[in-house]
Amino acid sequence: MRRKQITALLVTGAMVLGTISGCSKGTAATGASSKEDGGIKEFTAFFAVPGDEINDDNEIQQHLAELTGAKVKETWLTGQTAEEAVGTLIAGGEYPDFICGSDGTSQLYDAGALVALDDYIDDYPNIKNFFTKLEWEQLRQADGHIYWIPQFNNSYEKDMQTTHNDEAFWIQTRVLKWAGYPKITTMDEYFDLIERYQEANPTMEDGTKNIPYTILCDDWRYFCLENAPLFLDGYPNDGSCIVDLDTKKVKDYNTTPTAKRYFQKLNEEFKKGIVDPESFTQIYDEYITKLSTGRVLGMIDQWWDFYVHVNDALKQQGLEDQGCNYVPLPITIDKGVKNRWHTSGDTLNVGSGLSITVSCKDVRGALKFVDDLLSEEAITLRNWGEKDVDYLVDQDGLFYRTPEIRMKVSNTAYKASHLCPYSYFPVWTGMSQDGINAAKPELQPNEFLDSLPTNVQECLEAYGCKTYVEMVGENEIPGPWYPIYTFVGTMTTATPGGTAWIKMRELKHEYLPKVVMAPDFEAGWDEYLSAYETCNPQAFLDEVQPEVDRRIKIAEEAAAN
Amino acid sequence: MASIGKVKKERINWKEIKKQKVLLLLSAGYVIYGFIFCYLPLAGWLMAFENYKPKAGFFHSEFIGLGKFRQLFLDDGFIRVIRNTLAMGVINLVTTMVAAIVFAILLNEVKSQGGKKVVQTISYLPHFLSWIIVTGILHDALSGTGIVNDLLVRFHLLMEPLNFFAYPKYFWWIVAFANVWKETGWNAIIYLASITAIDTALYEAAAIDGAGRWARIKYITLPGIKPTIIILLLMNAGNVLNAGFEVQYLLGNGLVQSVSQTIDIYVLKWGISQGDYSLGTAAGIFKSVVSITIILIANEMAKRAGEERLF
Repeated sequence: MRRKQITALLVTGAMVLGTISGCSKGTAATGASSKEDGGIKEFTAFFAVPGDEINDDNEIQQHLAELTGAKVKETWLTGQTAEEAVGTLIAGGEYPDFICGSDGTSQLYDAGALVALDDYIDDYPNIKNFFTKLEWEQLRQADGHIYWIPQFNNSYEKDMQTTHNDEAFWIQTRVLKWAGYPKITTMDEYFDLIERYQEANPTMEDGTKNIPYTILCDDWRYFCLENAPLFLDGYPNDGSCIVDLDTKKVKDYNTTPTAKRYFQKLNEEFKKGIVDPESFTQIYDEYITKLSTGRVLGMIDQWWDFYVHVNDALKQQGLEDQGCNYVPLPITIDKGVKNRWHTSGDTLNVGSGLSITVSCKDVRGALKFVDDLLSEEAITLRNWGEKDVDYLVDQDGLFYRTPEIRMKVSNTAYKASHLCPYSYFPVWTGMSQDGINAAKPELQPNEFLDSLPTNVQECLEAYGCKTYVEMVGENEIPGPWYPIYTFVGTMTTATPGGTAWIKMRELKHEYLPKVVMAPDFEAGWDEYLSAYETCNPQAFLDEVQPEVDRRIKIAEEAAAN
Repeated sequence: MASIGKVKKERINWKEIKKQKVLLLLSAGYVIYGFIFCYLPLAGWLMAFENYKPKAGFFHSEFIGLGKFRQLFLDDGFIRVIRNTLAMGVINLVTTMVAAIVFAILLNEVKSQGGKKVVQTISYLPHFLSWIIVTGILHDALSGTGIVNDLLVRFHLLMEPLNFFAYPKYFWWIVAFANVWKETGWNAIIYLASITAIDTALYEAAAIDGAGRWARIKYITLPGIKPTIIILLLMNAGNVLNAGFEVQYLLGNGLVQSVSQTIDIYVLKWGISQGDYSLGTAAGIFKSVVSITIILIANEMAKRAGEERLF
C-alpha cells in the first residue's frame, strides 16, 4: 500500500508540474546566424506576412549570392497573426538577422529588438538614395532613430502603375461581357448585375455551381467585409477611420448611414442566396481555393491579397478563356459620389519595413546585402528573372516575355526552384535604372498588355481603358496625414484609445457577420450599435486626431522652410 | 500518509543511502530534469506582479502587485473564457471517458480475435494525427458542401445545407466530437488492459448462475474496472482547464468567438499578440491554481467515498 501511495504521489507531482509549466512559454526562435559558406554569407529573415518559401537550391538566389556575396533564408508567417508570431519571438528573445514585423513592428521597437540604422545609412549609397531626406526624417521614431526601411511603393523616375493594387469591388469579366459591358457605379447596380447574371447562368461551363458573392472574413483580412463604407462614401483608404478631406477631422465609418445601407444590402443578398453562406466561416486558404476554381463572380478584396495565387491558378487551368479574371469597378453608394478607391503616387508606409535585429552579428554585412540588392543588376534578376530564360530582349533593349515564358513563370514549382524576388527586401518599382524598361514585368506597358488574358483585354477596351487603374480612375494623395492607418497600426493596449481600437475590432468580427445573417436586419443592426458603443470608440478617434494634426503641421513646417 | 505509531519511521542514514545509491542515481536525472524544466521557469511568475516590458527586463520593470489580476477579473472577456474553458473541459472529459469505456467493453465482447485487433488498431490511429489535420478534415466534412451536409440533405433531414461553424450553439459539441473521434481508441487501451486483468473464473461462475452478457458486463466488468475509472477521472479532472487550444483556435471564427475562446487563446491574444506578457502570465497562474484546487477537491471526494485515490 505504501509503495502504491508513493508511486501515486510521484505521478501526481509530475502531473501538477505539467500543469504549472504550461504557462511558461518558451519558443525556439530561428537562431540568428551569419555563417560563412564558401565565401557566401548566410543570413536568416522572418517576414510576419504570409509568403511562399523558395527551395534551398534556388537558381536565381544562387546568382544573387554570387553577385552580392550573401544569401538569405527567408521564412514567412504560417497559421498565425503577425502579432502572435512577433510576440512569440520577443518572449523567446532571439531573432533572425532580418525581420519585417508587419503589424507587430511597434512591439519589436518597444522590446528593443531592432538595430538603429541611422548611423550606418550614409555608408550605403543605394540605401541612402532609396528615400529623400524628408522621407528619412519621417521614418524617425519617438527616440529619434530610424529602425526600419519601408520596402514598397517607391517608384524610380516615375510611377508606372498598371494594376489597381488596392481594395475594390471586383467582378469577373464574364459577368460584364454577358451584360454587354454596362457602366456600373453604385452598390445597388453591382449586386443587381450579379443577381441577373446568376439567374441566367447559375453554373460554369463544366457545370460547377457559381458562388455569386463571397466575403473573406478570416482574422485580420476581414477588411473585405468591414471597411467598404469608407470607400462607398468616396473617401480614400485611410484604413481605420475617415479623415474628412475639408475639415481634416477624424470620423468613424462604422456607424454612418452608408454603413447601415451597405450592411442592409449584404443582409438582403444573404437572404437571397447571393452572398456565399460560408463567407464568415471560411479561412483564407479556402477562400483562395474558391477564387482559383473560377466559381466566384465577385467580392471585395485588396488586389495583393488574391492576385498572385488566383491569377496563376486561373492561367494554369485555362480558366482565363472562360472570363474568370477579375477587374475592379468604381463603386460608390450613390451616383454622383466621387470614388477614391485608387490613390496614385507613392504612399510611404512609415509603420513597418525591413529591420535588422539585435541578434544579427554582422550588421554591416547585412546592410551591404540590402544595398547590393538595390543595384540595377540585382533588381532585374529579382523582378524579371534570368535573361533569355525568363525574359527576352528586343533590338531596342526592351524586355518582353513570350506566352510560353509567362506560362512557365506562373508555375508554382518553377517559382520555388528558379525565381527569387526577395520580395520583402526594399525594391524599386516604377522604372528600371537602365532608363528603358520598367522595374517589373507587370509595369512594362507592352508586356503588361500582352500578358493580359484576352478576356481582360477585351473588357478594358470596352471601357476605353488601358490599365486596371483606369477602370477606377486616379486620385491624388489627399494630404500629408495619408494614410493614417500607418499610425493606427502602432497603437497598443497601453493607451485607452488603443484598447478601444482592439475591442472595436474584436466586436466587429463577431457582430458584423451576425448583422449580415440576421433574420431581422433592424434588430441586428441595433444590437450591433449598442454593443459597439461599449467599446468607447470615441477614445480611439480622440487619439487619432492629434496625429493627423501633427502630420499636417510637420508638412506645413517643412514647406515653410 | 503513515499515521504516527502505526509504522515506525525509518531514519535516513548513510547506510541506507549507500544501499540505495543505484536507485538514487537513477532518480537524480528526473529531479534535475524537473528542476530545470518545471521549477526554474516558475521564476517567470514574477512577471505577473509587475508591468513587464521586454526592454526593461525582469529586474527593471515596474512592480505593481496584484494590479494585473484585478485587470483580469474586471474584464468580461476573461470571465467568458473561463466559462468556455470549464464548459468544454467538462464536456470533453465526460464524453471522451464514456466513449472510451463503452468502446472498451464492446470490443471486449467481440469473440473473433482477428476482428478485435483490426478494430482496435484502426480506432487508435487518429490519436497520432495532429490537430491541424483533424480540424482540416472537420472543416471540410462539416462545410456547406461537405459529406455531413451532403448526407443530411440527401436523406431529407435538412432542406438546405447547414453551416455548422456559423452557430455558437453547435461549437462545444463539435469540439467534443473531435475529441471523441480522435481519442476514443487510444483511451480505450487502458480500460481494455484492466478488463483483461479481471479473473475469468468470475465470468464462468456468473455464466453458470445464468447471468447473460448484459448482466456480466453490469456486475463483473464494470465493477472490475471501477478503480481504473476513478483514478483516470481524478487525473483528468486536473486537466479540465486544459480544454484545448489548437482545436478552438483552428475551428473558431468571428461568429462563434464568444463561445470558442479558451483561457489559452486569451493568453495568446493579450499576452503574446498585444505584448502584455504580465497579463498573460497572471491568467496562466490563475489556471494553474484552479487546476491544483480541482485535483485536491476531487481527491478528497474520492477519499470520502472510500474509493481509489491519488494521494
